[in-house]
Amino acid sequence: MTTVHLFDTNHQIYWGLLIAVYFYYTGMSAGSFILTSLGTVFGIEKYKKVSKVGVLMAIVLLAFAPLHLLFDLEQPGRALNLFLHVNPTSAMSWGVYLLVLYPVCLLIYAWFMFRQDFVNNMNGTGFKAGLYRFLLFGKTDMSTAAKENDTKKAKFFGTLGVPLALAVHGYTGFILGNVQARAIWHTPLMPIIFLMSAMVSGTGLFIIVLMLVEKFKFGKLDADIKSLIADIANLMKWFIVIDGALMIIYFIVLWYSSEAGYAAAYYLLHGDAWSFLGLENGLGMLLPLLILLSKNARQSIPAVVVASLLTIIGVLAMRINLVIGGQELPLTGSKTLEYAVSGHDLTIVIGLALATTVVLSFLYAVLPMNRPGAVVKLTSQAVKEVAQ
Amino acid sequence: MGKRYAMVIDLRKCVGCHACQVACKSENNVPLGVFRNWVDELETGKFPNVSRHRLPRLCNHSENPSCLNVCPVKATYQLEDGTVLIDYDRCIGCKYCIAACPYDARFINPVRKTAEKCTYCHERLEAGLQPACVNTCISGARVFGDLNDPTSEVFKLLATQPVNVSKPETNNRPQTYYIGADQKALRPNLLDIVGGEK
Repeated sequence: MTTVHLFDTNHQIYWGLLIAVYFYYTGMSAGSFILTSLGTVFGIEKYKKVSKVGVLMAIVLLAFAPLHLLFDLEQPGRALNLFLHVNPTSAMSWGVYLLVLYPVCLLIYAWFMFRQDFVNNMNGTGFKAGLYRFLLFGKTDMSTAAKENDTKKAKFFGTLGVPLALAVHGYTGFILGNVQARAIWHTPLMPIIFLMSAMVSGTGLFIIVLMLVEKFKFGKLDADIKSLIADIANLMKWFIVIDGALMIIYFIVLWYSSEAGYAAAYYLLHGDAWSFLGLENGLGMLLPLLILLSKNARQSIPAVVVASLLTIIGVLAMRINLVIGGQELPLTGSKTLEYAVSGHDLTIVIGLALATTVVLSFLYAVLPMNRPGAVVKLTSQAVKEVAQ
Repeated sequence: MGKRYAMVIDLRKCVGCHACQVACKSENNVPLGVFRNWVDELETGKFPNVSRHRLPRLCNHSENPSCLNVCPVKATYQLEDGTVLIDYDRCIGCKYCIAACPYDARFINPVRKTAEKCTYCHERLEAGLQPACVNTCISGARVFGDLNDPTSEVFKLLATQPVNVSKPETNNRPQTYYIGADQKALRPNLLDIVGGEK
């Protein structure tokens, strides 16, 4: 039946790039933390070497993630209302507390992990030694009991951090999943899909960051780090397999759901095809999976870097496709809604990405990143002492 | 039993003059480019078999409003009489309510910088008047009143006429009832819009 709309009111897409990028950051924070907690919490020895790199990345990403939300608020000066007025039926209200508890827990966890290294390096006059003395808050006890306490407390707060990491990213899935108005969001799979794609992108970014840290802190990638990266790449392969399976399940059920669901699925295949099929699932999921299927590729650093970069781009596309694409289909009226990113939003996204990089690089530069369990490089003086 | 406000819009009487849309803008000082109340107008069929449909839209002041459930600061609240209102001094402008409303009823007021929507002209109700859109309707198509009062016009219309609501499946339990609404106006023809119609 031909229908011509003679008059209809323009509506606007209100949740844009900032919200998508916020989901992206919390996802990578949760992903990288859960991956590196394999060492401290789950006792897989080889991951202990990299847990410091992972926890700093998780903390910094999570510190910058909510800033995107703050800049997206129409009334940022009233952000405190989020703490003063709680609405238990709102997923966003749950998130406010998770976004505070999770980084606090990670900070305590990181402090216990770094404490002994602070003590070892606190004597001196430089900036670093001064910083370590400040960060120790006077807790310089290096007795065996104190060291055991560090391990115990790190394990405790790390273990607490795992469910918090799952919740801090899982809740963002509920933010979209609870909205029944939009068929493309309204699925119980949403929190799980968000978590699995978070594991994929978190692992991808972690591999790249780990390589950079090793390169700049120690000058080269040791053989044990190389073999660990091959292990992580193998894990990433499985994360992609699960994430891909979830996406396929999600898509099939969307296709066979309500009229709005079918239209959304059809729109993903046709309207947003280059981004959904091309970027998100082709370049971002299928290609890295094909690369990582080969054992030789997993052991080759350039191949793993390419696969990691692709997953990072693919998951960003996924967040944008879901958040913004989910609002393109009209709820009333007669045409799809157009979204154009504003210069304001783009500036903030780029600015915050740069700030995240700078802060993270600064922390990696000044904090003692020596690896627990790795061979300690002895200084020449120490070598002499050992020889005597 | 207390009051339960609702609106019945009798589309057999609506002529599509858009006076309600204008009156709302004027009464509530709604800025340019955004609407609390608007009239969709469409034409279906092929000459000589054609018909023209109108659908005035406004906040449905639902029994179970999605916007109220998702507001992270409880800025959206519901009165005993069913009216859903926004505390403009508390709203932080996160826009979750706008994303969650199935009816596109909400928007950001570009001047006040908070979410905004139809209030049933709350201040007019308190003064014993009808909402501006109802007051101005030239044909009496818009009827407003208390559903719990058996002598009210809305009660009588709901009791005697076949009515329809927009998107009943969302569990919002909307309280704007239409008489004679065309289904093509009540919801967007998504398959037509995305091109998926066989």
